[in-house]
Amino acid sequence: MLLNSQQCDALRELGNIGAAHAATTLSTMLMTNIEMDVPDIKVIDISQVHQYVSDELAALVLFEITGEVSGGGYVLLHIPKNSVIRLTNAMLGMTEQDRELTEMDESALLEIGNIMVSAFLDATAGLLNIIMLPSPPSLTIDMPHAAVQSILASEGFMDINEVVLFRTELRSDQHKIINNLFLLPNEPMLDEIVTMLENLLTTASESPGTS
Amino acid sequence: MSKEQPDPQTVIIGIGEFLVGKLPMSSIGLGSCIGLVLHSRTGGIGGMAHVMLPDSQGREDRPGKFADTAVEILVSELSAAGCRPSQMVAKIAGGASMFKGFSGNLNIGERNTEAVLVALKGKNIEVAGKDVGGTMGRTVTYYPALGGRMVVRSADGTLKEL
Repeated sequence: MLLNSQQCDALRELGNIGAAHAATTLSTMLMTNIEMDVPDIKVIDISQVHQYVSDELAALVLFEITGEVSGGGYVLLHIPKNSVIRLTNAMLGMTEQDRELTEMDESALLEIGNIMVSAFLDATAGLLNIIMLPSPPSLTIDMPHAAVQSILASEGFMDINEVVLFRTELRSDQHKIINNLFLLPNEPMLDEIVTMLENLLTTASESPGTS
Repeated sequence: MSKEQPDPQTVIIGIGEFLVGKLPMSSIGLGSCIGLVLHSRTGGIGGMAHVMLPDSQGREDRPGKFADTAVEILVSELSAAGCRPSQMVAKIAGGASMFKGFSGNLNIGERNTEAVLVALKGKNIEVAGKDVGGTMGRTVTYYPALGGRMVVRSADGTLKEL
């Protein structure tokens, strides 16, 4: 097992804070309420990834996490295909639903990804008292499973059999838009984050000194 | 465009898994991974592996996960089922490179493709069809009982038959 249930809880709380900040930025950009679920954290075998991540076409914006952590962790923003046009329409003030994606949509997706993921990493890093920054984003309109699989086969993960799947859903009911944020830390990064969280909890539970 | 009819009997082969049998098999969302099919020309039987990495480096716990051990296990399980290597043909799909420019990206898709082809050559198995490389994800379905038909659906919706 990569994580015990206590570590899962701590990570869920950390993700919750990050996702709430991402949701706030999305809410500001779209000028609407954003609903957010409690993040889902699962430790799953790689052979079961297909049960959680489908092959249905979606916009995928990928960031590598950089800063004061070891490399090899990623954040993936997943926007199902039927939400993509509604999202960029809401951002760009357009209404036509039945249209092809243009370069403008792609820039809008990169931008929204940048802003949301920066907010997500800022908030989580702030809690851990470190700095985390997103790399420049890479956008593809493709199968989510293929994207996650490619990340899991990349250098930072290499020979793994289990993965921590962290996912949180952000929704705008008004615009009928769904976004999913996936956090995919490799094992060294996961260990670092969990250690930092545990130190944080220990410090918080100790009473202040009386010297 | 004709739509794939998902067969309820289809067995999903997850990342690193393999199966030999007669039922339809599918690997969904192949990115840098390879969907490797070894089909027997007789008996309506064959196998599929969802290969993730090129080299097992001697590890044996998940034979379907690595190119070298995946070819090995499919050949040996098909042989155990009564097929001769000379009757086997291979079909492969996947090995894409979806995100260029990331530090962790060492062309794993390309290396997977190469490693699978080398391993097949080592067994003298003919490659009857391949759809590899590019930047797009693929979902593959293999029908052992239908003459080894392999359908490749790309992320953009195009269907290809190998």
